[in-house]
Amino acid sequence: MSIITISSLTKIYDGGGIEVKALRGIDLAIGRGEFTAIAGPSGSGKTTLLNLIGGLDHPTSGALTVAGSELNHMKPRELSDIRLNKIGFIFQAYNLIPVLSALENVEYILLLQGVARSERRDRSRRILEEVGLGREINRLPKELSGGQQQRVAVARAIVSEPELVLADEPTANLDQTTGSGLLDLMHDLNHQKNITFLFSTHDQMVMDNAERLIRLSDGMIISDEKKKSKKESSVKKTKKKK
Amino acid sequence: MIANMMETAIKIKTFIMLGWRNLWRQKRRSLVVILSITIGVVLMLLQIAVMNGMITQMLDNNISTKLGHITISKKGFFDDMKLESNFFPDARMLEKISKEKNVVAITPRVKTFAMIRTSEASRGVIVMGIYPDREKNISKMNEYTLKDEGSRYLDDPASNDILISKSIAEKLDVTVGDKVVLLVQDKDNEMTGVGLTVKGLFQTPVRDYDNGVVYMGIKRLQKITGLKDNVSEVMVITKNKNIVDSVKPKLVKNIADNNLEILTWKEMAPFLLSAIAMIDKQMVIFYFIVFITIIFSIANTLIMSIMERFHELGVMKSIGTRPSQIFFIIMFEAMNLGAVGLAVGVVVSIAAVNILAIKGIDFSLFMEAMRQWGAGSIIYPLLFVRDIVISVVVVEFTTLLAAIYPAFKAARIKPLEALHYI
Repeated sequence: MSIITISSLTKIYDGGGIEVKALRGIDLAIGRGEFTAIAGPSGSGKTTLLNLIGGLDHPTSGALTVAGSELNHMKPRELSDIRLNKIGFIFQAYNLIPVLSALENVEYILLLQGVARSERRDRSRRILEEVGLGREINRLPKELSGGQQQRVAVARAIVSEPELVLADEPTANLDQTTGSGLLDLMHDLNHQKNITFLFSTHDQMVMDNAERLIRLSDGMIISDEKKKSKKESSVKKTKKKK
Repeated sequence: MIANMMETAIKIKTFIMLGWRNLWRQKRRSLVVILSITIGVVLMLLQIAVMNGMITQMLDNNISTKLGHITISKKGFFDDMKLESNFFPDARMLEKISKEKNVVAITPRVKTFAMIRTSEASRGVIVMGIYPDREKNISKMNEYTLKDEGSRYLDDPASNDILISKSIAEKLDVTVGDKVVLLVQDKDNEMTGVGLTVKGLFQTPVRDYDNGVVYMGIKRLQKITGLKDNVSEVMVITKNKNIVDSVKPKLVKNIADNNLEILTWKEMAPFLLSAIAMIDKQMVIFYFIVFITIIFSIANTLIMSIMERFHELGVMKSIGTRPSQIFFIIMFEAMNLGAVGLAVGVVVSIAAVNILAIKGIDFSLFMEAMRQWGAGSIIYPLLFVRDIVISVVVVEFTTLLAAIYPAFKAARIKPLEALHYI
């Protein structure tokens, strides 16, 4: 069953009187629990596609359904609620709220959702421990390294157990080791919680780790490759051992 | 329902906390705004306190000399003070009035025009015949009597003593112990004169009063004028000056004589009410100045703060914060700014007013003007709870008003645009 269904999606920007076609009739379906990367050169339309799926922008034409909701004609408040309850975001530049501690940043989402205080605290602590930041929960973002900040961002994105996590170049500001660790973390979360991850990326390491790789060029899908899932690999390995 | 309300309260608490922390991201800028609000509040409250002191003293001084709280007299006496407008103060009526719950003291007076003269000069005055002891509960003439160089307050209502103001004494060139002649018209409209001894000199805070009124014993004045036991008016003092409107109807019930009228100080001195109304209007100007100061500093600070956090607000919207919630975060930020400035301003003002009230503020430089208003040259500033409540309302209302536009702008930030803004 698809969590994202896109048909004939176009996005045209008005670049000072000149039409810039960022997306040209995209048709795509992403299934629940997939770990998918969208790759392509700069200007290929991958970030635009991610923004449209995240309800941060409106398409020029076409249909877009995310987690059962048609986003095309939603009002700002309705889109806010979709982003809050169904989608988690991970940004390239971490984008944590600087005046809130790591714990409060993660808790913020649950607060907006109206989760009770004690449950909010427990879940936020637990998720920060899962991402390896159990000791840094009271630190402000400026007191954390880039990798740690991105881990907080991951924790914030998944704490409410959304159906979909959108990650825009999540490893772009991280070194190879930190990026690899983060990717493993997201993979584990994908397996354990069956959260759908959709990345936009330039990073070969992300592309190698993705279970499905969609390549965009000039606003169109030029390839859509399903690779062997790590889930399947790990299951097969376990059977061989037996 | 209760759970929803609790959750809303928790969200509000978090938004207030966010606003509070955002406030201190630019400490210096926030402190400048807080300081400007504090200065505005302190100036406003000090001004109000001085005006309160002035109004209170002006009213109290006028009441404690000439007006009393309520006066009972023959109809028309207040507008046209003639000796023949006299009446017999029925003992039962006086007793009933005295027993009225909110009445503190009463005393009769005889009041008429007279001429006071010496060999050097003469002067037209109003002569007030009083019971010296009972008058102590009614007016402050005993306190206003100078107690030096032999000057003393009256003690015997039948004596040949007279109490005159220091300014009249200077004009007549007399002092304590000197003789003066008082010429009055008696009840038969015949002029009659009597020699009196200056027993004491007084000085009230009301200049006009000093220049135009002298005091003597009521029995002696009744005898000179032939009024026997009749009086011109009965002065009534109530528990406080603000309840006269409710006390008056109760007194009216106790007076059977239709020829008598009862007037409150508000009816006798409408000019005082006009003066208070004028001062209140001046206060509005002060409120407006504070209003302007706050509105621009808050709006400016918030707009700058929002521009600096444009990207961050975009992130907050991206992760699901509703536009209305962004609006409230900015409003709470403004509310915090206003509240800090206000709290400091109120504390400083209360402390300053309490310190200044110990010795009062000396307005001797404007002595004549102050005495003309009847306020006295030393003003003791007074701050009422009402004034603090008004300042809280004015400052917080202004702050929130100033924040509406920036908060609205922040709420309408397009997340995608903001995410690209560094």
